[in-house]
Formats: sequence, C-alpha cells, structure tokens
Amino acid sequence: MQGNTACAEGALAAGCNFFGGYPITPSTEIAEHMARRLPKKDGVFVQMEDEIASIATVIGASWTGARAMTATSGPGFSLMMENIGYAVMTETPCVIVNIQRGGPSTGQPTMGAQGDMLQCRFGSHGDYSTIALCPSSVQEMYDLTVKAFNLADRFRVPVFVMSDEVIGHTRERITIPDHVEIVPRRPLEKGTLPFHGGDDGVPGFPEFGRGHGVHVTGLTHDERGYPEATDPHIHETLVRRLVSKVESARHDIADYEVVNPDAETVFVTYGPPTRTVKQVMHDHPDERVGHLHLRIVWPFPERLLKIFTNAKTFIVPEMNMGQIVREVERHTCLPVIRVSKLGGELHTPDELQKLLEGRP
Amino acid sequence: MKLVIDESRCKGCNLCTMVCPYHIFQEGDRLNERGIIVPKLDRPERCPNCRLQKLYGRRLCGACALICPDQAIRWEEEKPYEKHKVVIEY
Amino acid sequence: MTFMDWYREDRLPHIYCTGCGNGTVINCTLEAVEQMGWAVDDTVFISGIGCSSRAPGYIKTDSLHTTHGRALAFATGVKLANPRLNVVVFTGDGDLAAIGGNHFIHACRRNVDLTVVCMNNMIYGMTGGQGSPCTPVGAISTTTPYGAVEPVFDLSELAVTAGANYVARWTSYHVKELTKAVKDGLETPGFSFIEALTQCPTAYGRRNKLRQVSDMINYMRTNVILIQKKQRMLERGEAVPEEKIPVGEFVRRNRPAMGVPK
Repeated sequence: MQGNTACAEGALAAGCNFFGGYPITPSTEIAEHMARRLPKKDGVFVQMEDEIASIATVIGASWTGARAMTATSGPGFSLMMENIGYAVMTETPCVIVNIQRGGPSTGQPTMGAQGDMLQCRFGSHGDYSTIALCPSSVQEMYDLTVKAFNLADRFRVPVFVMSDEVIGHTRERITIPDHVEIVPRRPLEKGTLPFHGGDDGVPGFPEFGRGHGVHVTGLTHDERGYPEATDPHIHETLVRRLVSKVESARHDIADYEVVNPDAETVFVTYGPPTRTVKQVMHDHPDERVGHLHLRIVWPFPERLLKIFTNAKTFIVPEMNMGQIVREVERHTCLPVIRVSKLGGELHTPDELQKLLEGRP
Repeated sequence: MKLVIDESRCKGCNLCTMVCPYHIFQEGDRLNERGIIVPKLDRPERCPNCRLQKLYGRRLCGACALICPDQAIRWEEEKPYEKHKVVIEY
Repeated sequence: MTFMDWYREDRLPHIYCTGCGNGTVINCTLEAVEQMGWAVDDTVFISGIGCSSRAPGYIKTDSLHTTHGRALAFATGVKLANPRLNVVVFTGDGDLAAIGGNHFIHACRRNVDLTVVCMNNMIYGMTGGQGSPCTPVGAISTTTPYGAVEPVFDLSELAVTAGANYVARWTSYHVKELTKAVKDGLETPGFSFIEALTQCPTAYGRRNKLRQVSDMINYMRTNVILIQKKQRMLERGEAVPEEKIPVGEFVRRNRPAMGVPK
C-alpha cells in the first residue's frame, strides 16, 4: 500500500467522515482516495476552491461533530496558517496532513523534505502549541493518522501529520488491525461554561445543533465564549491555558522508540531519516550507538534525551537545514551534530556510517 | 399595549422618526443620563399596534421596531385602565 | 415570539455606532427567521470579520465568528457536514467582495443551501473607513482621499451570474421589503444572496456630505429604483439615470443545490 493511501485508510478507520481538500502534489492521492471511499461510508468529500477554504470547511464541519481532516503540502500549508490559528483559538479538533516537499515557495513538488517542522509549530501568529506526528513508514502513516484523530479530539487542537513525499509515495506491506481504538470527544456538560478549561485545561465540546447556544469566535473570549478583546487578564488566562493544555501533557502523550539506552553516540530522528539510521544499526550493530526515534515531535518531549545516561554526543539527521536539532540543542549541554540534507534525497546509510567512523 | 423606548439602549439616531406613518416619534430635546437625546413620543396611543395587536393576534406595522438598530423599541403589556367615575357638569 | 427573542439580551446594547444600519438588518433577518418558525437550536449564524460580522455574537443560537472573508467556506463545511442545520451567513462588502471574493463565487457556483445576508455599507467601517470594492466612484474614504477611481462590484449581479438560486437587493430603509426578501431566501433551497445597502454615517457619510443619519437614509430612499421598473424603462428605450441603484428580486430559480436536507 502507498503511504498516502495508508493515511486515508487510517483516517477512515478512525471514523473520519468529512474531508475538505484541494489538489497539491505530493498529497493528492489522499484526496483522491477519500473522494472514492467517503461517499460510500456516508461521509462528505468536498473539493474546495483553495487551501484556505479547505481548512475552513474542515473547521466548520468539526463544529457539527464531524471527524474532519484535510491534506496538503508546503504551499497549501502556508495558505492554511491563518485558519490554523483560528482552530487553535477556538479549540477546534481537526487533522491536517502535510505531505512535505522541498521549499521555499513551489520548490520541489515531487521530492521529499522536512522543511515545515518549525512552520507547523510557529507558523500562525501569536503564542500557541499544537501536536505534530511524524511517520517514518507506511505502517506508521496508518497508525499515526488514527492517533492524530484521537489526540485532536482529546485536546481539542488541530493535529498535524507531518509526513513527506518519501513516505507518502513509498509502497510497503502493512498490517491493518481488526479494531482501532477511537477516543471520542468529551461533550460539554449542560450547565458548564463552553470555554471553561476544567482540570486538564480542555473544555467539553459544545457541538452545534445540541442546544448549547455557543458563540465561537477567534477574538479573545471569556469562558462564556463572548469576545473580551481588551481585558489583559482574560487574554493571558486564555492563551496560557491554550498552550499549557498541550505542553503539560507532552510526556504523557510521547510516542517514541529507544534503542541502546546506554550508548555514547545517540541518533535522534523523526520521519524518513529514521529508516536510514535503522539501516545503519542493522548493518553495523554497535552497542555504543543508540537511537531515539520520535513519532510525536511537537510538543517536544525533552525528558526523553535523559534516557541516554551515558550519552556523549547527539546526532540529528534531518532533511532540512536543521529545525528539530534546535530543540535538542536547547535541552542538552552535550555536543549536538546536525546532519542536514537538502535536495529531496534521503541520507544514505554510508553517509551516516562514515560520520560514526570519523568519530573517536 | 404600550409603546416604550428603552433608554438604556437608544443611541439617539432618530431613525424611528423617519419611518412612523403616524409621526408618533418626535426628535427629543432633552439629554438623558447617558448623554443621549432620546426621541419623545407624541400621543403613542395612536399606534395601531398598541390598539389592535391583541385584536388581530399579530404584530401590525412594527416598522419602528424593525428599523431601530439598537433594539430599543418595544411594546409592553399594560394594565387595563381603572374605571373612574366622571362627574359631568352641565 | 418576536425577533427580539433571538437576541442575547445580556450582550445588548451592541457595539455599532449611532445610526448604523447593521442593527436594522439583523432585526429584519431575525424577523424572517422567526417567521420561518425555525428552532433556536437548529439554526447557526456564521460571519467573517468586520462590523457586519459581529452580528452573530448578539444572537442566541450557535454561532461561528470566523476569519476575514472565509465565512462562506466555514458555512459550507457546517452545512455539508450537517444538512439538518439552518445556516445563515452575515457578511459585509469588504469581507465578501474583497478578501472573500473567491469563496463567494464558488459558494454561488456550488449552490450550497445557505442564506447570505450582506450588509453593504460601501466602506470598511471597523478599520475606520477605507475604500472597499463597493465604494462608489468619486466617494471619499481614508484610502481614497481624492475620490475613489476604481469601478465597483455589483454584488447582486455577480451572484446571479455565478449561479445563486435566489438574489435580492434592498436597503436598511426598506425594512418590510428586506424582511420579505430574507424570508424568500430562507425558503429557497440552494444559495440565497440578499444584499442590504446600509448606512454608515460614521465612516462613509461623514466624509461624503451625508453627515446626518437622515441624509444617508434619504440618499438610499431617493436613489433606488425597482429592478422591474428599470427593465421596463430600458425596454421602452428610456434612459435610466446612472446613479440609480436597482433594488428588488434579481433572480429566483431552482438549480440543483448541495446540502439540502433529504
């Protein structure tokens, strides 16, 4: 199965019943697959006039209780930024798949890259925090898409599946589970305010058409949902809650894989470079070389770096000029080597092996 | 029914004075406590809605309430007038 | 019930300036919704950004106050995902014609079962009176200090051409006709577009020799011409003065529509 198809199938298994999209290479197969499959499952597929409208329909559909998603690539992702901020402010659960390609601008439409990793975290204006998942195989594409829907509904945030052309167009054999776990949205209890955070900072969801009479606005709003754009206290409370509801759970939701925790040299990877590192470790087994594979990159679970108690060096191979390596550098005093690669090709095992051999 | 202007909402735009076919609304001449000149009512009992809404069971005319951008015009229930004895002097 | 029962009373009075026509248009829309006998729980009001778009915040129903120009795209999502809901969109001329122009023509083309009420005040009111695509040629605004030179959009004609099922234009002075037009729009399956010309005494009238609210109302009262009358005049070969704005029902048809409840 192709990575993009696996993504669409994962979404369907997770109960996705609304897809709003716009064709863009290399993500189009997701929209095509959804267009074929959704109408037969009583879902709605709509091709919008641009990516701005795509994310807008997805947010609108989500407020009627639908599990909604869209899929795009770099240029479309840039167009979506404003409404992603809107989804954060209004706490709208939705899933946005970004099959990354070489940028900036139109760049390399048919080549993979990981250049949007900071954009998905900081791209929209203002302070916020979201969740980004990075599949490194077709199987993970399926599993993480399911997970993305559950996380979106649990935290009421837009969740990004930050894949790329490499995984999107890879064909691999995958195992589709008989049953996938679906965590539904917690509905708003009658009598509680629609934007009151509660213990975990996540309010219950006041679905449209259920008599909640909720006013949803992108303006700074109080717990009733009414605009209060000039009160500094209300704004601070709101934004701090929006950030902390995600950030405080970063270690609970962390999804990772650790190899050789006693190693001295540790690879930190997410997405396709994971495959290269796995190949290196397979070809040259060495207990002094460890591997931390992150499936959830944002919010960055910095405590995982402490698992490697004997670590002397971290190596971060990325298909960009070094984006997540900044997070690693920020959270450790040890030397961090960035291995950046541009142009759309993956790091080869030889390259990484030579890097290891070149070290004492 | 009684025609009333809600002084807490009226912003004094005088749109009502332009639409009432009976010219019941007249431009006011006195600032209220919010610093707004609220229109005054000239013999509001002439308003057909005051007189006939109950009889017809629906709102009649109502142009003033529809055009009022500040939702300040409404009709209130009114207690029936108490009967008094009138002594007619010849 | 009357239209007053649809307001969130705790939010009134609203933020609109003295004499602003937006409040009137909301009254008329709510009166039409009330006449339709819709339930508060089954109705959703959606808006973008601008003066007009603050309207849903004063209405009791579920409401979505979205980003600038995108209201129609959000509304498309809501309506397609749950056709049982009655969706009404409030928008303004800048919101709809400028930043949301693409969404507007495509929503008309798709013919999604929405009713769109556009408060066309011919100016960007919220940001302080900049020229919009509907600012008449020669009018003064803060960004057209020597008079607007760009030709204007005729939103109603645009909606007719793009494929909407119902299109009408009235002004905030013609409250009864506007209410009727909105009701007709709500009844028509498919995309209904009602353009309501409104007065903006603060940002438009003040700079264009229409300083008093009554001046703007008189301008709208005297400068409109019923579209049927205009057509009759054209058929007879009479000249229609250029400044006359046609009002009335532009089109009512029954093209296939999306999002109509089965």
